[in-house]
Amino acid sequence: MDRVDRIELGSSMLPTPYVNCDYETVYEPCEDSFLLLDCLEDQQEYLGSRFQDALSVVCELGPGTGVVTTFMMQNGIPTSGKSVYFGVDISPWALEATRDTVRRNKCDGIFMETVQCDLTSCLKPGEVDLLVFNPPYVPAENVPEIPDDAVDRSRWLDLALLGGENGMAVTERLLQQLDTVLSRNGVAYILFCARNHPEEVAERMRNEYGWEVELVIHRKAGWEVLSVYRFSRKIM
Amino acid sequence: MKFLTTNFLKCSVKACDGSNDNFPLQYDGEKCTLQQNNDIEFNAEFLTNILDRVDWDAILTVAADLGNNSLPREKPVLGTNGDLTEDDLAVLRDLHTLLICTSIVEGQMQCKNCGHIYYIKNGIPNLLLPPHLA
Ligand SMILES: C[S@@+](CC[C@H](N)C(=O)[O-])C[C@H]1O[C@@H](n2cnc3c(N)ncnc32)[C@H](O)[C@@H]1O
Ligand SMILES: [Zn+2]
Repeated sequence: MDRVDRIELGSSMLPTPYVNCDYETVYEPCEDSFLLLDCLEDQQEYLGSRFQDALSVVCELGPGTGVVTTFMMQNGIPTSGKSVYFGVDISPWALEATRDTVRRNKCDGIFMETVQCDLTSCLKPGEVDLLVFNPPYVPAENVPEIPDDAVDRSRWLDLALLGGENGMAVTERLLQQLDTVLSRNGVAYILFCARNHPEEVAERMRNEYGWEVELVIHRKAGWEVLSVYRFSRKIM
Repeated sequence: MKFLTTNFLKCSVKACDGSNDNFPLQYDGEKCTLQQNNDIEFNAEFLTNILDRVDWDAILTVAADLGNNSLPREKPVLGTNGDLTEDDLAVLRDLHTLLICTSIVEGQMQCKNCGHIYYIKNGIPNLLLPPHLA
């Protein structure tokens, strides 16, 4: 799937990054990746005005090929010349691929760093203004263990896909970290598939934890329905 | 890994979250290989925004770890009327050189609370924990 397909799917205007990675180790951009791009494109104005006054710290969890982070960098999302980008992935292959994609798309002039880590555990609390995550969301018996060494290459791909019970095991852990990692004004965009029961998750985050949660985009992709929700703190 | 990134990384060990010693990490000056890339364009507005945002004490600490003791003790305050003076620009240029153009390509750093050592390889810091600590 490439840029043309993405344009045919929706009404996208912004260019899609050029991506060419080894898909035996790194998740190939798919409908979910492109839904996230379209989502960010729709949200560009909202984010621009939300973050216009200061530096924005952007963190993509699980950047994979880096297609989403590169898209944000290319198109000045949330702000142009005022954002720094962090790509945090558990897979060393994904981090290499992300750096490569940023370079191929001539975004090297923009501040972007790759960090190997499990979700946000190494991030100083309260610093992330914009968090984006296309998680491993496919229901599976377990979340795979981290391969022992980088040599066992294809097992990293399982980590990109399989999300344990209801496909929510990894996303659920991230949701529990959200309050810690986001800045006061921070927002998070998280992708779900229908089997994750996103409406229930959203309701719970609203009621139990007082988050503002909004469905910002959804789309049928084959037999899946994919959606992106936006999480932010209630302004009292 | 660019110097600025040290301002955002803490120890991954959950038990260290209650401690004040899990940030910044302690960089091993002897084992860190630094690289200077002076091709990155200087952008005064960007640097002003960075300066607003950074934890200055952490910058001082890490700079000292890496053998640089020349920074002002207090976070520099820029002219407030909107226009940057020559002095302000000089400060911002210095920060650009340190925070954006200086990177650690190979090296290691340690949590001051639990002592866990993390490595930087090929410019990528690895803050994944071994299974028994995760
Ligand atoms: C579905 S892929 C998304 C890739 C890319 N963002 C995209 O949209 O095409 C999920 C990514 O999350 C990463 N990942 C899985 N578990 C993770 C964890 N616990 N912490 C950080 N990254 C993780 C995987 O390595 C993979 O790159
Ligand atoms: Zn520690």
